Amino acid sequence: MNPAATAAARGLASCHLCCKLVAADVAHCPRCGAHMHQRKVDSLQRTLALLVTASVLYIPANIYPIMITDQFGTSIESTIIGGVVLLINLGSWPIALVIFVASVMVPLSKFFALYYLAWSVHRQPASGNRQRTLLYTLTELIGKWSMVDVFVVAILVALVHLGGLLVIRPGIAAVSFAGVVIVTMLAAHSFDPRLLWDKEEQNNG
Amino acid sequence: MATLIGCQGCDMLVDLTAMPEGGRANCPRCGHFLARYRSDAVARALAYCISAAIALVIANCFAFLTMGAAGLQTTMTLPETAIMLYRYGMPDLAILVGGFILVLPALALTLIMAICVPLTLGYAAPWLVDSARVLYTLNEWSMVEVFLIGVIVSLVKLSQMAEVQLGYSFWAYVAFSVFFTLAVSTLDRFHCWQRIEAVQLS
Ligand SMILES: [Zn+2]
Ligand SMILES: [Zn+2]
Repeated sequence: MNPAATAAARGLASCHLCCKLVAADVAHCPRCGAHMHQRKVDSLQRTLALLVTASVLYIPANIYPIMITDQFGTSIESTIIGGVVLLINLGSWPIALVIFVASVMVPLSKFFALYYLAWSVHRQPASGNRQRTLLYTLTELIGKWSMVDVFVVAILVALVHLGGLLVIRPGIAAVSFAGVVIVTMLAAHSFDPRLLWDKEEQNNG
Repeated sequence: MATLIGCQGCDMLVDLTAMPEGGRANCPRCGHFLARYRSDAVARALAYCISAAIALVIANCFAFLTMGAAGLQTTMTLPETAIMLYRYGMPDLAILVGGFILVLPALALTLIMAICVPLTLGYAAPWLVDSARVLYTLNEWSMVEVFLIGVIVSLVKLSQMAEVQLGYSFWAYVAFSVFFTLAVSTLDRFHCWQRIEAVQLS
């Protein structure tokens, strides 16, 4: 691969908002006014800081109830995992799988994928970069699907209020979990996959 | 120079001059998505956007879901998804849910119209750049299709204890999600900004 074929190698920076190519020393994009930078600012530090924040929020999100069901005078609190178990007991395997994947698998895979990507910027050879960029694209794509369980709680709360018979209330974990989703989305957004490729130029050039 | 794009995945420079009609370009080095092209993208995006706006208005006017159990019946509308969270003392969550499923998508539709109408008329509207900036910053925070999956999961969860019916608003929201997704993906970032630049220079 010709090392001069990148924007950075030609002294250019591409605007993150409008894709315009501008000389690397220009401070603001002449087309859209966005702040210009060749690589995302403090990409690795920001990604890791946001991942740590998300990991901390993930604990209350799983310990506290996400939803409280008041039925015939008794209250049943259910956690995220409790909700999955309940669905399995109801025999709804496919839906239990959807919630398990969205609420447990997706956030955990995002944590590990981003930790791995941030780690591999300095520790891995450039040869697997195509796969790593694909991993990053997937991490960005799946992020918002974790919100499914929060929306389920919002819908059940809005619909189920049958006086003293059956009422569903939101639990505090719903807020923590929404926080986890938003912070991991921001973490994915802060990571700059171009950092993975930069060392390829350094080796070639 | 004007048709070069710097890949957001690996910084490679790719020439997008010869994109075929209806085509989609990915980076030859890292595979990252670059752009899609249609000569009539602006008109199409506007048509999808108007359809989505009509569907969204309908989705807010009727019952979304109706539940009956033990002779009692409750109904929820779409805005109540957020409003009820607020009434249960969770204003932060209410704002997030309302934002992701209603406010941000509605804002995106408004911005797409604010961009597509002047571009169709060839008018260099003073709000073009700001509208596109906000649109392409907030786009990824719309969670319309995720919410629909949430509705399906809710239906299954409730199927044991109650009889649930889908209202007109549910179907309107399904239509909205299809048109909204089409509108957003049709108005390609790279080509939209090129059109804005062209109309401002002319
Ligand atoms: Zn720009
Ligand atoms: Zn690339």
